Amino acid sequence: MNRTKKVTRAKTDPTTVATVWHSMQTICREMRHVMDRTAQNYLISQLHDVSVGIWGAKGETIAVPEGLPTQFLGSGFAVKSLVEKFGGDIHPGDVFLTNDPYHGGHCCHLPDWAFFRPIFYKKELLFFTMVRAHQQDTGGSFPGGYFPNGFDIHAEGVIIPPTKVISKGRERTDVLELIWNNVRFPKGTRIDNYAMLAATKRCEQRVVAMLDNYGRNVVLDCVEQMINRTERAIREEIRKIPDGTYTGEAATDDDGTVLDEPVWVRAEITIKGDEMTIDLSKSDAQRKGFINSIYAATYGDAFAAVILIFDPALAEYHNEGTMRPIHIIAPPGTVVNAQYPATVGASPVNVGIQVMEAVLEALSKARPERAVAAWGKHRGDYVFGFNVRTNEKYVRTSFDYDGSSGAVAGFDGYQGVSCLTALGAVRRGDAEEMEIRLPWRMVRYEMLPDFTGAGRWRGGPGIHWSAINEGSDSGVATGSSDGDEVQGFGALGGEPSPKSRMHLLRGAERIRVKPHRMATIMHGDIVEKLSSGGGGVGNPAERDPQAVHEDVENELVSLQAAREVYKVVIDPATLQVDEKATRALRGGR
Amino acid sequence: MKRKLAKKRVAIDVGGTFTDCLVLDELGELTKFKASTTPRDPSDGFMHALEKAARHYQSDVRGLLATVDILIHGTTLATNTLITGQGARTGMITTKNFRDVLELRRGIKPVDISLYNVFIPPNRPLVPRSRRLGIEERVVYTGEIVTPLNEREVVEAVTKLKQDGVEALAVCFLHSYKNPKNELRAAAIARQVAPDMYVTTSHETLPMWREFERFNTTVVGAYVGPVVSHYLTKLKTRLEDAGFKGAMLMMLANGLVQPVEKCIHRAVHLLDSGPAAAPSAAVYLGKLLNRENLLAVDMGGTSFDVSLIKGWEIPTTTENWDGDQRIAIKMVDLETLGAGGGSIAAIDSLGLLKVGPQSAGADPGPACYGRGTQPTVTDADVLLGYIPHDYFLGGEIPLDLELAKKAMNVVAGPMKISPIQAAEAIFKSVNAGMADKISEVSTKRGHDVRECVLVAGGGGGPTHGGFIADLLGMPTVVIPSFAALFSAFGMFAMDPGEDFVRAFFARSTGVDLDEMNRLFQDMEREAKQSFRDVGIAEKALTLKRTADIRYVGQFHEVETEVPGGKLKRAQLDATVARFSARHEELFTFAMPWQPVEILSLRLKATAPRAPFHLREIVKGVSNPKAALKRRRKCRFDGKDIDTPVYDGDRIQGGNVLMGPAIVEEATMTVVIPKGFRCQVDAYKNYVLTRQKKAAATRGR
Repeated sequence: MNRTKKVTRAKTDPTTVATVWHSMQTICREMRHVMDRTAQNYLISQLHDVSVGIWGAKGETIAVPEGLPTQFLGSGFAVKSLVEKFGGDIHPGDVFLTNDPYHGGHCCHLPDWAFFRPIFYKKELLFFTMVRAHQQDTGGSFPGGYFPNGFDIHAEGVIIPPTKVISKGRERTDVLELIWNNVRFPKGTRIDNYAMLAATKRCEQRVVAMLDNYGRNVVLDCVEQMINRTERAIREEIRKIPDGTYTGEAATDDDGTVLDEPVWVRAEITIKGDEMTIDLSKSDAQRKGFINSIYAATYGDAFAAVILIFDPALAEYHNEGTMRPIHIIAPPGTVVNAQYPATVGASPVNVGIQVMEAVLEALSKARPERAVAAWGKHRGDYVFGFNVRTNEKYVRTSFDYDGSSGAVAGFDGYQGVSCLTALGAVRRGDAEEMEIRLPWRMVRYEMLPDFTGAGRWRGGPGIHWSAINEGSDSGVATGSSDGDEVQGFGALGGEPSPKSRMHLLRGAERIRVKPHRMATIMHGDIVEKLSSGGGGVGNPAERDPQAVHEDVENELVSLQAAREVYKVVIDPATLQVDEKATRALRGGR
Repeated sequence: MKRKLAKKRVAIDVGGTFTDCLVLDELGELTKFKASTTPRDPSDGFMHALEKAARHYQSDVRGLLATVDILIHGTTLATNTLITGQGARTGMITTKNFRDVLELRRGIKPVDISLYNVFIPPNRPLVPRSRRLGIEERVVYTGEIVTPLNEREVVEAVTKLKQDGVEALAVCFLHSYKNPKNELRAAAIARQVAPDMYVTTSHETLPMWREFERFNTTVVGAYVGPVVSHYLTKLKTRLEDAGFKGAMLMMLANGLVQPVEKCIHRAVHLLDSGPAAAPSAAVYLGKLLNRENLLAVDMGGTSFDVSLIKGWEIPTTTENWDGDQRIAIKMVDLETLGAGGGSIAAIDSLGLLKVGPQSAGADPGPACYGRGTQPTVTDADVLLGYIPHDYFLGGEIPLDLELAKKAMNVVAGPMKISPIQAAEAIFKSVNAGMADKISEVSTKRGHDVRECVLVAGGGGGPTHGGFIADLLGMPTVVIPSFAALFSAFGMFAMDPGEDFVRAFFARSTGVDLDEMNRLFQDMEREAKQSFRDVGIAEKALTLKRTADIRYVGQFHEVETEVPGGKLKRAQLDATVARFSARHEELFTFAMPWQPVEILSLRLKATAPRAPFHLREIVKGVSNPKAALKRRRKCRFDGKDIDTPVYDGDRIQGGNVLMGPAIVEEATMTVVIPKGFRCQVDAYKNYVLTRQKKAAATRGR
């Protein structure tokens, strides 16, 4: 492998810098498009549980426009260890695969498989591209990868350390078959893997064309300039936060092994001038249960949270420069820096979300004008059963049951976007599509009134999702759920996100199913999921009465809640705001 | 070979600023007219354009219309109604317990906003929750009605919505594409209860599964429906009052035309009516030049539309978003960038120059028009000497150079550069943005832009086209003399036609060929009837069958051609093989070992358009000096260059212009950059050819 030559030319003009930058973003969007159109996994194609990006030859983050933060903001670590491990054995046309949280893979949990492709230009390694996506199955004791109580990480599935699966353009079929042989849906996984490989190939084609077009030095200079510009802007943003130390904390219901005992993540954020240190040392120790997060995942989540409170105009510009002034401390052996052989199956939506919440809670205190409340907790589950219509076994998972986002200073929460760790990168499915594909019939899919964090700006609405099992008796793992007991925080006096629930309706019985458990769904059972919206921002009694009125008209807020929580009196007959009574109730304000 | 037509044909494209009118006379010659658009009642501008045309033929509107047999009309009315939020007060009745499909969408934040930006207002659906009412009924995926329609609830809901002032209603039930009975009955009840309400159903709008996409498309149709139907009804009456007895055809989103009567209740199909015609203008030119792969661009005042055309096929897609609205009908595959002559330049948060998507529009317009103060692309074009300040629209609008220069200071100050340098930076930046959009569009569809001809239309296309081609390394640019009336021309250049679709679902291993044959025959029967209704004979029709195919398990299909006639196993196998080849072409790989699924059978029926030809201009010598109008300083690559300016009216066929050079026409300014050679053909198309090799100019 050649070493990157120093860029010595004169600085490229700003127009070219901006153009190259936008081209990189466009390339990433195209990569996702290729995946979208060709993958067979519901999570990848329809729900976008996918991340793509471009890194420098030494692992510096260049373009990260699309994807789940937990999957890849920390992927620079993986690129670095890849370069270390394979040293001189990286060639044009090579592709590497890994899903390993440990051994240099830095993947957050086993279902997320990553393909890395080095991009060479005139025999010089200049970039890496990566696609990471949640596979339909990754082996282990139960389908889907989100089940509790594995003995150790080996029980959670096949572990692939960084492995060369394509060598100089030739597929190492025996190696891939060894891997596919260890998952439950090898044919489907093969299709998805080819879709991922195609995306990295498209990236290589486009980046090389860009290098042809502008020249190597110009492109590298543009990258360097963009990183420096972003770093300057981020330091400027940090300087806007008063020096000091701010704290936040968040918990998950339990670790799935020791039941009903919350596990805490605690953040202490220190601002000094233009530098920020996020210290997570006071978080709980690593657990036996499957909620542990590795450092690269913790790093990605913490960054994603910090980015939210910066100027939104910077949203499309984040790169290595964002990361330079921010330091993240998470000591080994804690639940935010788990060590081999800790289980990590539920890490993204359990400890992962808590890292984001703890950081956001602290920063919402530090920069109230940019406060961001918690979103509704993730309410996912994995159902595995048999589809009599097609004579095939199936695994169903989705983001359909999630509530909505939390409020921010200035706006109510956005409706329907999935949990905080996904930030809206993932999607819901269509009821019709699910009914055609799987032996389930939807009973209800609507927003639920009075089921979100109230506030001057309220959280997005909670969701009622229920469906009847018309197929075989099936298993369900609720490992990707949380929030039956713990609540997402509200900011600046806003209320937290309410507690969520899941039930099985079996005849007259209503059986509660908690997060992080396994259960059986009988043929004919109705699964009912009541998923809360996000937290509120600001005192609900300061909410604009007209906004409360609109919510009442839309049956999202009851008359009773309008009066008791928002202190707005609405006449039940005319549905008009009684301004006088409202003023009196609000203490004359 | 000139064939004489019995009557005249007219195409009228009502845009945001201008109403373009093209008349094809009995001798097959085209003449262009332009009138101002009248936003309050666009039928006024429509009639003004006809008046201008009538004067040219020394007649009045009545006299002109008596000699016209076909009038094709495109309008931005539906699109404008949607983007400006001026649609009807709309209600929705839907399957009980599913009233929020429209609001939850697919959990999608606005498609063009980064996921790291959470400081955005929540989605505001076109129909608020209070006007979305659930009705007891349920159809399942097999089409079976498991819960019959509760008719009493429909009556109550429609009564309530009527009292609430609702003008348009969308009836949207689950799985109605499979069994429309409940939707049809509910719509019939609604029409009884509220006879003045504009009522649409989801299965008629888009008979396809996936409820969010179908419902949202239906609601958009309901929202724009009353405005569109009111306008069309009024226009139809005005034309009939003026004695028009010919056929009036509307330009549709899918790039085909349909009789106006059929469109009044299918308003959603009139989105992008107008721009959707542009690609067929490009196809016409492509055929003239015998080039199959084209990139058609249309640079107007606020937006830049791009479409990639391969093998003279107009590309279509069902993946459209119009702002926050998902529109899932088949539409011409146009991608739009917020860049045009009115695009405003500003300095962004990282201190970089950004051009668009904000636009000064028609009001206040670019600074040089005299009302605005923000620097725009047109201001840059004027300062660089490209657009003549004294001959804009043939001198109709005088431009103020000083105001343009003054506006430049908004960006020149912070960047510490001179106004002329700022103008250059804006010009380069907007060109780079357009070039990027083009490469995104082409690579997304698996194409190398350098193998395509750039067809530059719209008011700005002739000025910027050469520079964009230069950035992309494209060897050829074609600028037609009707560039500024690109869409209206496209309406002539296209074949009238109609799309049909049927839901179908089968794996290739177990296809019910009889059912497939039956559905295709059914659509063919419908197509023939439909064309017979407008006087087009069966034998003139071209019927093209396609099927949406995917590998088992995939979620997205590739539209693949299906042979005509009775289908047997062999034809089916050939179709599957064609699908695999296309998959590899689009996505770099194929999986021949994997079984496929066939769904959504489609039929496109077209009839040949009336023959016409462009007027030939006087043939001259290669030296263009007879057309030289003046010389002026223009800025190319940081240098002021004394540039020859030619008079478009005196240009002759066969003239060769070496860049840098400028041609001024009343409706456009053609800029031939340095390094390009422009050959004028017999129809006054400006064909620019790059003289240097690709990839040499960037990143200097």
